[in-house]
Amino acid sequence: MARETLGRDPPPFFRQGPSAFSRLLVFSALALIVMVADARFQMMQPLRSAVSVLLYPMQWLALQPLSLAQGAKVALAALAANEADTQALRQQLATESRRAQRAEQLLLENRRLRDLLALQQRLERPVIAAQVLYDAADPYTRKVILDKGELAGLQLGSAVLDEQGVLGQVTRLFPLMSEVTLITDRDHAIPVLNTRTGARGVAYGDTSTHADAIELRFMAANADVAVGDLLTTSGVDGVYPPGLPVARIERVERRTEAIFARIYCAPLALVAGAAQVLVLAPVGLGAPERPAPLAQPKPVKNGGRR
Amino acid sequence: MPVKPGFVWLTLVSALLVHMLLNILVWGRAAWAPDVLSVVLVFWNVHQTRRVGMGVAFVAGLLVDVHQSGLLGQHALAYTLLSYVAIRVHLRLRWFSVTEQALQMFPLFVLAHAVEILVSLLAGGGFSGWSALLSPLAEALLWPLISHLLLAPQRRAPDPDENRPL
Repeated sequence: MARETLGRDPPPFFRQGPSAFSRLLVFSALALIVMVADARFQMMQPLRSAVSVLLYPMQWLALQPLSLAQGAKVALAALAANEADTQALRQQLATESRRAQRAEQLLLENRRLRDLLALQQRLERPVIAAQVLYDAADPYTRKVILDKGELAGLQLGSAVLDEQGVLGQVTRLFPLMSEVTLITDRDHAIPVLNTRTGARGVAYGDTSTHADAIELRFMAANADVAVGDLLTTSGVDGVYPPGLPVARIERVERRTEAIFARIYCAPLALVAGAAQVLVLAPVGLGAPERPAPLAQPKPVKNGGRR
Repeated sequence: MPVKPGFVWLTLVSALLVHMLLNILVWGRAAWAPDVLSVVLVFWNVHQTRRVGMGVAFVAGLLVDVHQSGLLGQHALAYTLLSYVAIRVHLRLRWFSVTEQALQMFPLFVLAHAVEILVSLLAGGGFSGWSALLSPLAEALLWPLISHLLLAPQRRAPDPDENRPL
């Protein structure tokens, strides 16, 4: 018999290992344990890192058609678009150079003023450019995966920006990749400052509307908030540096029965389609230590009497 | 001709690859997207029960969880359940035609997706909308196609000659 045509060894009658049901129980219990360990105790990061390194070659392979197609599209589009782009950029350059000169002057002035006030110079933090590999496929969250990880010097908690504004925050770090939770994720909160009024607030991701939006919560129903206000990072969190544009207020709903107004904002960053991003190390890592609490005055016992 | 074990593993790995490819390129976060890997997994659970069991399903689920960077174990639980039911019904299922099999697989896929949605709700996630119901339907529709593809090597003649090259 040249080839084996009659199948494998007959299945053993008696020794078939544990029954299907007991296996189900074992694996379900294992899955539940992994879930609880992941969600409640954050103990699964090593496993996740290991699996992500294992998966990396496959993901790289899966991304090849995309990069090929993009390369071809870029090459074709570049010919037509370059001409128009150059024209537009020249004009922009003319206007920008005037502005740059003014900015130079302002910078100098600003530095002098800061020196004068003995203010701490704004910290210069390292910036790492990265690329978005793909959107995480989970429909319940808003996360993207970047092509740089721990080996490229990324830090957990770094702010991620695109050219328009704040995109999100690095929430998981793998050796070769990192996961960014977008500001539109429902578990993400970002402290913001209304640039028109100076009022601080916290904006939360809002995926319930099925549009990539964020919501400014806990603003009183009579708060001074108007459509079109620009929200920037306030810098009080120690993660995002202050002054980065975040969102613009799109709609304000004030209801008589509610204490808080419902304020919907549209993010300025391209949350649905960013490709090139910048990663900024968290502010907290460069900031000076928190001053030690003041010595407590000795409590007076028994109202001063013995 | 019996299926070669290498073929089983090859198809499972390429199903994972196709799953990631489709997620990245075509579907993105669409909730109705069919889960190709789960169809291939269940297919081998039914046809190669002794090789592809719940352990394989569990590991595949973990891989998908890491890829989607969701809650670790969510897909592992769903795939384990899927695989359990598939193993329980595998002897009965092979008596039916492929379309009838697809009909019987539909509630199975509904169950798997219900588990996934339930887990993500319990873990504090949101509800992604009713379009998630289309996903098991799409998977059941994929069943005949996947069956045809994966059984193709076994339709070859056991002793190929000039007249029957394949």
